[in-house]
Amino acid sequence: MQKQFDNLYGITPKSTDNPKAKQKQLFIEQEQARILSELPTRPSNISFFEEILLKRDTAKADKPLVGYFCNMVPAEIIHAMGAVPVRLDGGNNIAAITGEEILSGEICPVAKASFGIFLQEDSLASSCDLLIIPTSCDAKRKMGEVLNDFKPTFMLNLPPEQNHRMYIKQVYAEMKRLVEFLRQNLKVKLSKSALKKAIDLGRAKSSLVRRLQELRSQDPRALSIRDLFLIVQASAFGIVSPERWIEETTKVLDELKNAEPPKKSLRPRLVLTGAPIIWPNFKVLNLLEECGADIVADTVCTGAQSHFDPVVVEEKSMQSLLRALAGRYVFASICPCFISQNTRINRILELYESLSAGGVVNYSLRLCQLFDVENYRIGQVMRERNIPFFNVRTDYSLEDTEQLRVRIEAFLETL
Amino acid sequence: MIIAGVDVGSTTSKTVLFEDGKVIGELVIPSGSLPGESAREVLDRCCSESGVKSSDVEGIATTGYGRRLADFGDMVITEIKACALGVGFTDSPVGHIGTIIDVGGQDTKVIGLKENGEVGEFSMNEKCAAGTGRFLEMLARKLGLSYEDFVESALHSETMIQMNSTCAVFAESEVISLLARRVDKADISAAIHNAIAEKICPMIRRVGQEGALCFVGGGARNRALVKALEENLNREIYVPDKPQTMVALGAAIAISGKMK
Repeated sequence: MQKQFDNLYGITPKSTDNPKAKQKQLFIEQEQARILSELPTRPSNISFFEEILLKRDTAKADKPLVGYFCNMVPAEIIHAMGAVPVRLDGGNNIAAITGEEILSGEICPVAKASFGIFLQEDSLASSCDLLIIPTSCDAKRKMGEVLNDFKPTFMLNLPPEQNHRMYIKQVYAEMKRLVEFLRQNLKVKLSKSALKKAIDLGRAKSSLVRRLQELRSQDPRALSIRDLFLIVQASAFGIVSPERWIEETTKVLDELKNAEPPKKSLRPRLVLTGAPIIWPNFKVLNLLEECGADIVADTVCTGAQSHFDPVVVEEKSMQSLLRALAGRYVFASICPCFISQNTRINRILELYESLSAGGVVNYSLRLCQLFDVENYRIGQVMRERNIPFFNVRTDYSLEDTEQLRVRIEAFLETL
Repeated sequence: MIIAGVDVGSTTSKTVLFEDGKVIGELVIPSGSLPGESAREVLDRCCSESGVKSSDVEGIATTGYGRRLADFGDMVITEIKACALGVGFTDSPVGHIGTIIDVGGQDTKVIGLKENGEVGEFSMNEKCAAGTGRFLEMLARKLGLSYEDFVESALHSETMIQMNSTCAVFAESEVISLLARRVDKADISAAIHNAIAEKICPMIRRVGQEGALCFVGGGARNRALVKALEENLNREIYVPDKPQTMVALGAAIAISGKMK
């Protein structure tokens, strides 16, 4: 395989030696855990998931660790090749500030925070062996070349349009290139049976999240959206075997099934859409629930949406397995990096109607142009249908918390 | 039945006392460092100045950024809803008010009203002081002018100059360099007001400008700011008699509606 990057202008990776930064980073995570501990109802084994996220840096994988960004990289392939996948998109404000030591401040916080942890020794990112980055936005497209100095990096080229007929060949070829990159670096060959097994586990995970989401949409207070995000994110952002995660999540599901039938609630039911909300940056979720709203469903790539589409396997040839993964991870994605936003709007409307929600909240991450431009059409489409719509535009810092609270409360007052 | 609306703002605290659909007392005082105490003080002083016994006040609604920091009150509402209620109650000589501009000490809001007076779209400055009353106060001090002289001189400026900075910190250094170049203070004052207006106008345009425009909050008492906004929007703006207590009035109306 031809190399994507050569070392002609390679730069010695930089690192930061700010012990305060790591301390504050941990403090932010513990503070978020403390806020969550005040939730009235939580699964009895929630600490299992919380620990995974809180102890990410010290968790040692016994196999090679492959870091990736975004929700478009098939973790199944990494599992099947004997490595541990871990999603590295960052949600920590202090890590974002660390990222600014090298990247400009005018880049979205997800990119900065994801980059920031590479500058820290003993971080989860620095213990990764390989890195996979989809070309899902300009920041990520260009960060790959910078990060290739840190770790051997593979850029997964995404098509500009989700036109299956036009682009399936190209995406399939990219999947094959990804497999080849992993084969060369991990010295492991991908077997059909291992991939099939990994896909089956992935499907089991998806169906668990879908069941959880179905149940909680009836009674969102029985499982807070924040705990759902915690559970979902533990499986991708932390180091845990799929089997172990399935075992614990099944317990959560059983508890939810046996929960008392919901009392009638007057709290507004909202559908959440927009940019990724990544642990520990649950600021907007905290505010929405504290102000008295329930999030009944989401279309967020770090929430239930990330498990909405199962991998659909038709035949058991390697080709059809890889095509099935392409279908699930690329063509079913609701990411604004593709030229049409209809997939996302359809999804929002479907959730709004089927769950008899009272409004739609859009989380817009400052400096993410893709989501920002999409806001206009989404806002207009909601207005035309008389769907109460609210756009929260913010970033990772906590300084606007009180102003956001006023705006969220005022929106809820209008419902 | 006497009821009260208390608006605990960042710069001033306001109370309106309301009885049988009429305002019977109102007061504005500067907010101290403890919002809870400012709220108590403005209510007590307003009562005594209006000859009302505090114990006769049967319902109190609190609003403003310190709305939850007051340890009394029977109802809490956001200043956005309160503002809409206050404006809806006030007789408007300019017909249906569709958009409210509220410039306060630490934030600026633009609120769109539906035909029935309910809050529709709204927008708020996100997290910076540019475009707020505090910004104007700070720069008046930097110019060595009292706030009144600052406003008055801006109204008399005849030469247009451009302020490039609306960052509260960078604007200060820009003012200093303009002063060093011996630019007329009146022109600097006008440029500052214009810079703020340019910051607020896109918010107004985003929310939409259906119906008449109404300007409230402490900022609405600044005639130079009203003029700058009118010039930037190319239309007239209606400023009610007592723009600063509009939100407190709205809070009082909210609770009187609840107690009926």
